[in-house]
Amino acid sequence: MQTITRFRFLSLVAATACGIASAAGVNSSVTDAGGAPVADAVVYAFALGAKPEGSPRPGIMDQVNKEYLPLVVPVQVGAAVTFPNKDNIRHHVYSFSAAKPFELKLYSGTPAKPVVFDKPGPVVLGCNIHDWMLGYIYVVDTPYFAKTDKTGSARIDGLPVGDYQLRIWHPYMKTEPAPIALKLADGQAENASFRLELAPPQKVSPANR
Amino acid sequence: MVLRSLQTRIIFFFVLLLCALQGIALFLMSAANERIAKNQIAQELVVGERVFRRLLEQNSQQLGQAAAVLAADFAFREAIATRDEGTIASVLGNHGRRINANVVMLADLDKKLLANSLHTIAQQAAFPFPELVESAQQQGRASDTVLIDGRPYQVVVVPVLAPIPIAWVAMGFVIDDAVVLDLQALSGLQVSFLSRSGRGNWTVHASTLPPASRGELADRLGAEHTTVTLPLAGEDYETRLSILHERGDIQIAAVLQRSLKEGLAPFNRLRDTLIALALASIALSVLGSILIARGIAGPINRLAGVARKVRDGDYSQKAETGRSDEIGDFADSFNYMLEGIFERESKILRLAYEDTLTGLPNRAMFFNRLEQAIQSSRTNSDPVVVMMMDLNRFKPINDSLGHPVGDQVLQEVARRLRELLRESETVARFGGDEFAVLLPTGGMPRGRSVVNHIEQALATPILTQGQPIDLSASIGIAVFPGYAEDTATLIRHADIAMYVAKRNNASFITYEPDFEQGKPSQLSLLGELRSAVEEDQLTLYYQPKVNLRSGASDSVEALVRWVHPKRGFVSPIDFIPFAEKTGYIKAVTRWVLERALSQCGEWHMRGLDVKISINMSARDLMGPDLPRVVSELTAKYKIPAQLVCLEITESAVMEDPTRALETLERLHKLGIRLSIDDFGTGHSSLAYIRKLPVKEMKIGRSFVRNMVADKDDAVIVRSTIELGHNMGLKVVAEGVEDHAALMLLTRLGCDEAQGYFIAKPLPPDEYEAWLRRRRAIGEKLTESGFISDLKT
Repeated sequence: MQTITRFRFLSLVAATACGIASAAGVNSSVTDAGGAPVADAVVYAFALGAKPEGSPRPGIMDQVNKEYLPLVVPVQVGAAVTFPNKDNIRHHVYSFSAAKPFELKLYSGTPAKPVVFDKPGPVVLGCNIHDWMLGYIYVVDTPYFAKTDKTGSARIDGLPVGDYQLRIWHPYMKTEPAPIALKLADGQAENASFRLELAPPQKVSPANR
Repeated sequence: MVLRSLQTRIIFFFVLLLCALQGIALFLMSAANERIAKNQIAQELVVGERVFRRLLEQNSQQLGQAAAVLAADFAFREAIATRDEGTIASVLGNHGRRINANVVMLADLDKKLLANSLHTIAQQAAFPFPELVESAQQQGRASDTVLIDGRPYQVVVVPVLAPIPIAWVAMGFVIDDAVVLDLQALSGLQVSFLSRSGRGNWTVHASTLPPASRGELADRLGAEHTTVTLPLAGEDYETRLSILHERGDIQIAAVLQRSLKEGLAPFNRLRDTLIALALASIALSVLGSILIARGIAGPINRLAGVARKVRDGDYSQKAETGRSDEIGDFADSFNYMLEGIFERESKILRLAYEDTLTGLPNRAMFFNRLEQAIQSSRTNSDPVVVMMMDLNRFKPINDSLGHPVGDQVLQEVARRLRELLRESETVARFGGDEFAVLLPTGGMPRGRSVVNHIEQALATPILTQGQPIDLSASIGIAVFPGYAEDTATLIRHADIAMYVAKRNNASFITYEPDFEQGKPSQLSLLGELRSAVEEDQLTLYYQPKVNLRSGASDSVEALVRWVHPKRGFVSPIDFIPFAEKTGYIKAVTRWVLERALSQCGEWHMRGLDVKISINMSARDLMGPDLPRVVSELTAKYKIPAQLVCLEITESAVMEDPTRALETLERLHKLGIRLSIDDFGTGHSSLAYIRKLPVKEMKIGRSFVRNMVADKDDAVIVRSTIELGHNMGLKVVAEGVEDHAALMLLTRLGCDEAQGYFIAKPLPPDEYEAWLRRRRAIGEKLTESGFISDLKT
């Protein structure tokens, strides 16, 4: 149920901002089945050509007011993610996900050692003492990814000119829509849109926040 | 018997009524109770089912919570996350035991069975309850009653959250007898779990029923959802089927039951209480009925008793009164009726036994009383005297003055007669001027006294309309025992005697058999005596008395002599008692007094003071007029009272001592001398004699005649003389017929003597001649002198 529209327009602003002559961008717009914008969707692009170089950027998953913030943190494979605890109580961060099972036993503040996510895939985060706390680290094997904002749009910049496969992930999505193939030309910003069928999980209500 | 049955009827009625009411009430109540109980049980079962389902739900919720908590255990999740089959199986077993789950299964998100704590699983086996997983996906957790390996389990399915579901854990809890007992304790119902496949037979998996009933339950249970009554092992159960699970052709059901007997138990207890109450109230009502019935029947019985007494003529008992109820009213009315009956009966009795004119008893009453008197006389031999009395010359009164006057006279006579009689004595009026008197005691002495009283009573003229009516009566007397043996004869005898008296103009005559045998000797004698008095056939002779000390003679005893024109000389012994019997003696005495005092007066006038002794009869003493008569005669013939001496016999005095004493006192006051005649022949007491104003005592001729020959008589004479002297009396001996007696008397100190040896009774002129001769010879008390006197 996805429709893909392709826009071709000049994006002077983006080119100027990147400062790279041979760079392109992808503007993604994500809606749900009802057409409403979907936030927290991770849009990422795989370069079909040569693998991009460079070290992955670290990620930060805060715990604020007994919630993970933000809900979704997309990182590149190999990225180190820190889990600063901004609450004045402890948290026990864990994940049984195949991509990265780990646990940070009861701690406060920011643990000295960040967690390195070295396999791609979703990592569902829980807190062993706050069952309702739910967060996602989405590990992608590409440096080109972005997360939709409240308006459901995400922009991936700095993409080298070339062919790309644009994919999307959202923690609530039932099935992954088919990837969108993109041929990015220099200085161009391609537009892509995804329509997702979402099934939000049963939210565990915080007993005593 | 009738009253008894009244009592019984009252009791029966109340008791039967009560029994019927209680019976009907109990029957209705039992029927209602069973209906109510069934309804109540049905209601209980409906509620029970609701409670039961709620219990199951709570149970599953608790199990679900327990399972959820378990599934949230970090180590458990960690173990699951290892995806190592062995680890998973062991953690399922371990954690399942923590919450006493009997089976634990794990399914992946694709509902593939990953592990089963009961046994190892085949590859690619599907989770047997995918619908539970679906339900749990919707609601976070799901539960159901399912069959696992043919046994019912309560199964809950919860997700393994990390923190989003990574797997499904199913925890099953077997439903066994412990569970149903628990449910029974909470719901109060019999609980059974059954299952069946298709329309096949039910299988009982767990039940609170006794084992024997389980098979029957499986056999008899249908598919009805309404409440039905199932008999199980002889006991009725209200039964409700509740389907818990139906998938495919598998049915799992709970059966909720309540024993009808248990449901009825409180009602039965109530019924038993009511039966006890009913019995108690019946007993109480029997008691109350008996009391009430006695309260009614008792007084009625007593009333009946009084009525029976009344029937027998006893009016002394009255019905008990004082009750304020109807029976009290009845008793009052009954008593009024009694009084009425008694008054009327008394009136009838009066009419039957009473003479209406005078109020005296009538002939019938008299006969009754006479009969009674004769009866008692037969036992106590007290003589019974009957008098028949007829007023003389009553018919002329009636004819000339009219019946009202005649009636008045009869009433007055009746009154006077009644007055002079004692209470025990009876005077009755037989009709006309005929009265009858009954003296049940006292015999003839009382009879003579009564006759005297009657004469005196009638002597006073009766004043009617200012006119005095003189009355006299003829009285016939008959005595029992005597010549009559029965009342009728006795009265007939008295009647005969009365007619004899009437014919002879006598005031009374006692019956003699001669009256009926045509022997008129005595009767004619009475008539002749009467004419003798009137025609002066009687004469007085005077027997001189001599003083045994001086030989002088200055007193005589006047003795009546009757020279009958045909019979010649009649002895006083032959007519004086007869005259006394008929009452004619009074006429005789009167004649004697008159003649004697006349003679005395004549002598006194010629200077010859001779003391004259005159014999008095009892009847003379009883009459009130003797002193008056004597007083009149002494005045008439001008003689000093001391020349007159009245001789009275002891027996005459003793007939009515009081009255006699009264008469004697009056005579004594007149100066009349009194003498006790025939001393020793009566039965008077000396004490009484001493009270009499007598101066003289005469020893009877019966003692004097034999005193010379008979020592005993001599002793009597001597004692009598001594006694007389001791009492200050002059002692005179009668019947001196020989010299020896005269000598003996002189020797014994007797004061005076008279008798044929001294002089026989002499006519007045002969007495004067005798007296002259004695004075001529110097009044010597010589043997020759007396003899010569005798010879003249």
